[in-house]
Parts: sequence; structure tokens; C-alpha cells
Amino acid sequence: MGGGEGRLTAGRRARPDLTTPGLLAPPLAWLAIFFLVPIGIVALYSVNVLDLLPEPHAFTWSAWHSFFSNSIYLTLFWKSVKMSLIVSALVVAVAYPLAYYLALSGTPRKYVLLLVLIAPFLTSYLLRVLAWKVILGDQGVVNTFLFWTGIRSAGHPISALLYSRFAVMLVLGYVWLPFVALPIFVSLESLDTRLLEAASDLGASRWQTFRRVTLPLSIPGVIAAFLFVFIPTVGEFITPSLVGGASGYMYGNQIVDLFGTGFPDWETGSVLSLFLLGVVAALTVVFSRFMRVR
Amino acid sequence: MDAALSRNGRLLLRALFVLVVVFLYAPIVILLIFSFNNSQIPSFPLSGFTLHWYHEFLRNTDLRAAIQTSAIVAALSSIGAVALGVVASIALARRRFRGQAVVSALLLAPLVVPFVVFGISLLLLFHTIGIPRSILTVVIGHIVISLPYTILVLVPRLAQLDASLEEAAYDLGAGRLRTFRSVTFPLIFPAIVSAFLIAFTTSFDEYAVASFVVGTRETFPIYLYSALRFPSQLPQVIAVAVVVLMISLLVVVGAELGRRAAERRLGEIEPT
Amino acid sequence: MTAAISLEAVVKRYGGAAAVNEVTLSIGEGEFFSLLGPSGCGKTTTLRMIAGFVAPDAGRVLLQGTDVTNTPPNRRNVNMVFQQYALFPHMSVYDNIAFGLSVKRVPRDERDPRILEMLKVVSLEGMEKRRPGQLSGGQQQRVALARALVNRPAALLLDEPLGALDVKLRKQMQLELKRIQHELGTTFVYVTHDQEEALAMSDRIAVMNGGLVEHVGSPREVYERPSTAFVADFIGSLNAFDVIAAELVGGYAVAQLDRGGRVVVRIADGVAKGAQLRVAVRPERVHVVEPGSEEHGSVVSGTVVDTVYLGMYTQVHADTQLGRIVCHAENPPRPNSSVTLAWDADDAYVVG
Repeated sequence: MGGGEGRLTAGRRARPDLTTPGLLAPPLAWLAIFFLVPIGIVALYSVNVLDLLPEPHAFTWSAWHSFFSNSIYLTLFWKSVKMSLIVSALVVAVAYPLAYYLALSGTPRKYVLLLVLIAPFLTSYLLRVLAWKVILGDQGVVNTFLFWTGIRSAGHPISALLYSRFAVMLVLGYVWLPFVALPIFVSLESLDTRLLEAASDLGASRWQTFRRVTLPLSIPGVIAAFLFVFIPTVGEFITPSLVGGASGYMYGNQIVDLFGTGFPDWETGSVLSLFLLGVVAALTVVFSRFMRVR
Repeated sequence: MDAALSRNGRLLLRALFVLVVVFLYAPIVILLIFSFNNSQIPSFPLSGFTLHWYHEFLRNTDLRAAIQTSAIVAALSSIGAVALGVVASIALARRRFRGQAVVSALLLAPLVVPFVVFGISLLLLFHTIGIPRSILTVVIGHIVISLPYTILVLVPRLAQLDASLEEAAYDLGAGRLRTFRSVTFPLIFPAIVSAFLIAFTTSFDEYAVASFVVGTRETFPIYLYSALRFPSQLPQVIAVAVVVLMISLLVVVGAELGRRAAERRLGEIEPT
Repeated sequence: MTAAISLEAVVKRYGGAAAVNEVTLSIGEGEFFSLLGPSGCGKTTTLRMIAGFVAPDAGRVLLQGTDVTNTPPNRRNVNMVFQQYALFPHMSVYDNIAFGLSVKRVPRDERDPRILEMLKVVSLEGMEKRRPGQLSGGQQQRVALARALVNRPAALLLDEPLGALDVKLRKQMQLELKRIQHELGTTFVYVTHDQEEALAMSDRIAVMNGGLVEHVGSPREVYERPSTAFVADFIGSLNAFDVIAAELVGGYAVAQLDRGGRVVVRIADGVAKGAQLRVAVRPERVHVVEPGSEEHGSVVSGTVVDTVYLGMYTQVHADTQLGRIVCHAENPPRPNSSVTLAWDADDAYVVG
């Protein structure tokens, strides 16, 4: 077989490796055309080099200026960030003890139980949001149950359950909880249990061992878990549109509306999109460096 | 003495685990219950058992068309994602080259890009180039989304594979293609199936990106989303939801157990 | 006569260091040739250069006179037995062995008898349908052997194939391999770090260290007349000490020691009187004698520090004027007792 063998034969006289570029070309080309170029196009729309309308247009930063000076969008962004932070923190806080139990309690079926925990995440996202719509509505399961048992009188449902920030955060937490347990589990499972035994041997109580050995060593997993839920939820628009109502409106919904059929403003929409992308990319870079160092 | 958990600690955490699992599966169970409920609105008290909604959704041609469309899109995009994923994974796992970190990062980047941004970007791309939105555009988008998952499944499996197996094939005279066909492919086949299933379920359920690039033929999630706005459709949608959720749970669990069994049979040691 | 395998000044560098540093070897047709040395000495890299998995940075590799330096491994007429056998887990024993033949499109009716014959050679008749996972370590080993040999390669390359087996099985397999090699007459190139193994099986041994070949020779030559201190120390165990050549008598140097001790050793020409020599003698050549005995040329007295019972013999460790000397004895003296050790002048030699 002609061509270099890549890693299989290494040396001065190996012919240039033709296969690695050959292997990487199709996937990289696909991503270049259908992932990188589109993002570039968004950038062009954001500076008005490309425009929805056929009228004459020229490069301008005006949309970006408006975005930063007009506080509406930034406030909305900040609102989305806050909601995501709360959801992420709570979900990680609940997932951690679950992962701890699976990884360190010595239960023999830990992988099966892990699968049971994660399986819902691998089913339909949309349908799980639907389930909560059914449960939280004014005529939904919770309220009619309360009527039926007389805890609340009919005609006085707890309206804040659905079409509220609470609903958005509850549903997002519900959706992401199973998945978040995984990186924490991986981190705890790779812990050398002899470290815990050593700590115990040196006199530490279980709580001290946890606080001073287990927890610090599992931080990379916790950070990964936090990012796994925070990054998708910041840009969320499906759940808010189904269960958020007016008060649960998030940054992602704003982007969708700017490209919708009502009053399309592709230039501003592109700015918002790129801003979100920029924030997410920055977070990813910062934290992946942090995790690699450890 | 267990250094990680006391007896009480273990009981407490086990209780928490059970509670969370109940919390996670309860909404699905509730949907299950109400799919048989003889009432237009899912509410308490229950109104009696019926299979009416299941009959309704089986007769709903729009719904069936949407499911069929999603199946086609999922099949096509999964094949595409797996094909690209296998090729990329071999390069990543078996070859050392400069810029490996950058290439890795690029191939996995779609995982961190928010769907709303990616969907919009594809919308703008197709609009600017002048390609009409259709099943094809959805397939294109789904391949991008699924590709990182296939790589995340295949690269570890390839790395786990004893490299001397491929060397042995070489030593015995096989060329690169023959080595892949006779040695590598059969041994990574369970992982390829896993990757395919992950890509398939991801695509089948995908709403966000599809909503931006879908044409006139609706995919299943698109159909669902619009149906959710009409109360009359709700019970049927619930019935469908139950079926889809049950099937996907079975597929997920079955596929994982199947993959473990297949790999154990091939002589790899898997923890149970 | 053309050598079966010839390496001409091959060099392989990793990073800044040379893993193989200008190695030149000539391996004859039908020879059982071993590459022996500690880990990291370059023996496996050298083997893989013969196989074609590593391309040398300099030098040439020739197989039966043909330069194969740039030929990829799947086109060289040599086959390898890998350290962990690398049997294809998803194929039966039969299909594993058939693999090389099927790649070369050997017709089925020719393939079949060859495979069955090879199974007989490695004593695995009846195992064709089993899968590697169902075989013991020793059986897997033999399948790996059969899979390589059925292709009738010009040479068989073995990369520490017996490392994973327990001692008893290993010794059995050593005899098996030797028998198979004789039966088939194939050139074997065998890599090992176990010097006993190399001595037992080889026609010739190349002792390697730090990328260099220190000595090539038959087992006897390498054991009894090692050319460097490293080889002497690596093969078998050795007593070594420094003496000053006080007198030169007929090709020997004589060093008188205090308390009546004396060391006599054969020297090469050109060694001057008064030169410092490093002398080595194998423990099994050192004898416990009565004080004052004149039986042997060299003699020294000391105190027994330790005795180690090893079944076949007892090792006696004694502190002497020459340092720690180890010898073998059947009736070992007790620890802390005085002892006189002696050996023949011709059993010792100067190490370089």
C-alpha cells in the first residue's frame, strides 16, 4: 500500500502522510460549509454587509451600537443569565449527591442505576416539556387534583404554576438533571478510594474527608456539569415559548422574534445571536483551560 | 468502616435517589395515565378508561406523515453523521498530527453552540445562497448536530482497541482498506450502532434547528409543537407522546445493554 | 552466501535520543537469533524495523539481499508474533490462521491443508472452531505462531512472546519453539530480556544496551567470554573486583594480596606491570577450600556474611579483601565463620 502509514510507520523516509488529510477532509469540509460559513454570514448580517431587504446597504456598526447602548436587550440577556445560573446551581446541587451515591456507596448495580437516571434525558425533550404543560396548567393535573381534594376551591387555580419564570426554571431543571449527573459521576468514580481511607486513617471524620479530599478532587466534574447545563439554557427558547408566557420570556425568544414574520430585523437579530455565541465561546474557552490545568 | 458513607448516609442518599427517580419518571407516568383518560382535557378526577385517543392518532394522516418525514430525516442524517464520524474518529484516534487539538475542538464545537444561533445561521445561509428550505436542509443541519456525538462514541472505542491488532493485519499482508474491513470495522461495529442510534434519536426529536430550516413537509417535533397550541389535539398528542417515550426508553436501554453484551462477547472486559 | 536478514548501520531517534544507534547485524538462513538486553535497549525497535513498522532514520534493512528499507510491512516477506499475540477476537482460530493466506488470495483448496498441517505443528489439532477468548495463554501463543508461520515467511520475528506465561509453561514453550524452528528451518529473530531464555534457545545472541550492540556470539561465547563489562554483568551473575598487576608471568598477571591471598588472571598483550585490572569470575567457578590449599591459582580469605538456599545449590556471600564475593557450595559454612575461596586462573578474565 502506497502512501505513508501515518503513525504505523514513523521515520525520516516515510512518504508524506496522504491518508490523514484524506480522512479529515470530508468531516472538516462539511463543518466548514455548514457550520463556520453560516456563522460568518450571521456576522455579515450583523454589520449590514448582507441584508434582508434589497435596498442599498453598507458596512456599519450601528446595530452593535444600539445593542450595547439600548438596555432592553442586555437586560433581557442578564435575566436569562440569572435564570440559567439558578437552574444550573440547583441542578448541580441535586445531581452531586446522586452521583456520589452511585459512585462511592459501593452499590453493585451502579451502571444500571446510572442508566436509569440518565435514560429520560435520552428520550424526547419536547415531550417532557409537554408533560409539564399538562401537569402545571390551570386545568392541569396539579390544580385539578387540588380542586378534587378540596385543598383549593374550584375556580382558584394556582396560576403561577404555568406561564411563569418558575415554570421555565422547573422544566429546564427537570430536563437537564439526569444529564448533569454524568460528569460528576465520572469524576467521583475515578477517585482513588485509598485516598479516603488514608484520610480516615489520619483521623478525619467522613464529613471532613468529604470536604477536604472528595469535594476538591471532584471539582472538574462539577464545573463540567455546571457548564453542560448553563450553556444550553442561556440560549433556550423552546421551553420558554411553551411554558414561559410573558414573564418567562428569554433572550432566545427575542432572537427568534427578530427573525420571525412579524417585524423582522435580521440585522439586530444577528447581533444578538453573535453576542450570545461570543459569551458562550468565551466561557467554554476559559473553563476548558481551567479544567485542563487541574 | 466505609470511608465514603456511613450507614445513615447511605440510606439518606438512597432515599434521595429514589425520590429523584420518581420525580423524573412521574411526568411520563402521568402522561401514560392520561393517555387512557376519557376526557378532552387532562385533569383530575379521571374520567374513565379509553383507547380512543390511540385510535385517533393512528388515523391522523398529518401525524403519520410527520412521523414518516422525521424517520426519513433521522435515517439520512444519522447515516451522514456516522459516515463522517467514523472517518474523523479514525484520524483522531489512530493518527498523530499537528493541530490535532484544533481539529478536535472544531469537530466538537457544535456541542456548545446554542441551537438558536446555529438554526439562525443555517437559515441565513440558505436564504443567502438561495437554497429553498426542505427535508434536505434539515438533514444538513442534523448532520452537523449529530457529528460530535458520533465522534464521542467512536474515538474512545477505537482508542480502546488494541493497536497491535491492526499491526498484525498489516504484518500478514493486508492493505489499509482490507484491515479496516476485516479487523477494525467488525470490532467497532457495536459502537457504530450506538452512534447511529444516538444520532437517530437526536434528529428525530430535534425541534430547535428544524424550526428554522424546515420546508413544507413537517417533521414530527414541528407537528407536535404546533399541535400543542390546539387544546382539541392535546389528548392525541399525549397518546403519541407516551408511545414515543416508551419506545425511546426501550431503545436506549436495549441498545446500551446490547452494546455491552456484544463487546463482552468480543473479548473486551466491561464492568457491569 | 546472502544473509537472511541484514541490518546496515541502522539508526532510529526519538526526540533527541537514539533508541537504535548504528546497529549492524547479519542473521543467517535458518538461524535462531536472539536480541537480548534490558528494557529500553532498543531491541524491540530493531525488531520492528525488520518488520517494517518503524522506518530507520539512517541505514538499510535487507531481506535476503534485497533492500526493503522503504517497503511497508504488508509487503515484506517476514511475519511477526506480537507480545500479546494480537489474535483477532472476532475470528475463529481457523480464520485467524487463514488471514494472511486469504489476503494473498491463496485458493481455498490449497489453504485448508496448510492450515491443518500448521495446527499439527503447533499441537492444536481440533481447535479450529474455537475463538481466542476461549483459549488459554499458551494456546493463544501457539495460534499466533501458526498464524505467522503458515505464510512461510523468510523469517519469523518474535517480540517477547513468552512474557505473559508462568515459569513452567514458559520453559515448555521454549522447547516447543526450538523444536518448531528446527522442524521448519525458518530463521527466527527473537527479542527477550531474559538471558536464561536467550541462552537456552539461541544459535547466536546479540546483547544490546542503550541502542548499541555490545556483543554478538554463540551462547557459550557470550557467557564465557563476554566482550564488555555490561555483557558480563547482564548474562549470568558475576563477581568483579579491581587488582593491580604486580607481576607478569607467562601471559598471566599475578597480584599478591595481604593475608596470603593471590589473584592470577590471563591478560592480553600490552598490559604493563602495575596496571589496574578489573577482573571477573563466575560464582559457580569459585570454590570453598581448606585454608592453605594450593589446588587453584587464585585464592582469598574472608568471612561468611550470608548463605541463601536455592534448592539446587546454596549461595555463599562472603566479605573479602576483594569485596563481596559470591560462590556456590553444597555444604555451606555457617555465617560469620572464616572461609577460604579459590578458583582456577583460567576461569577468570579481565573485563574491559
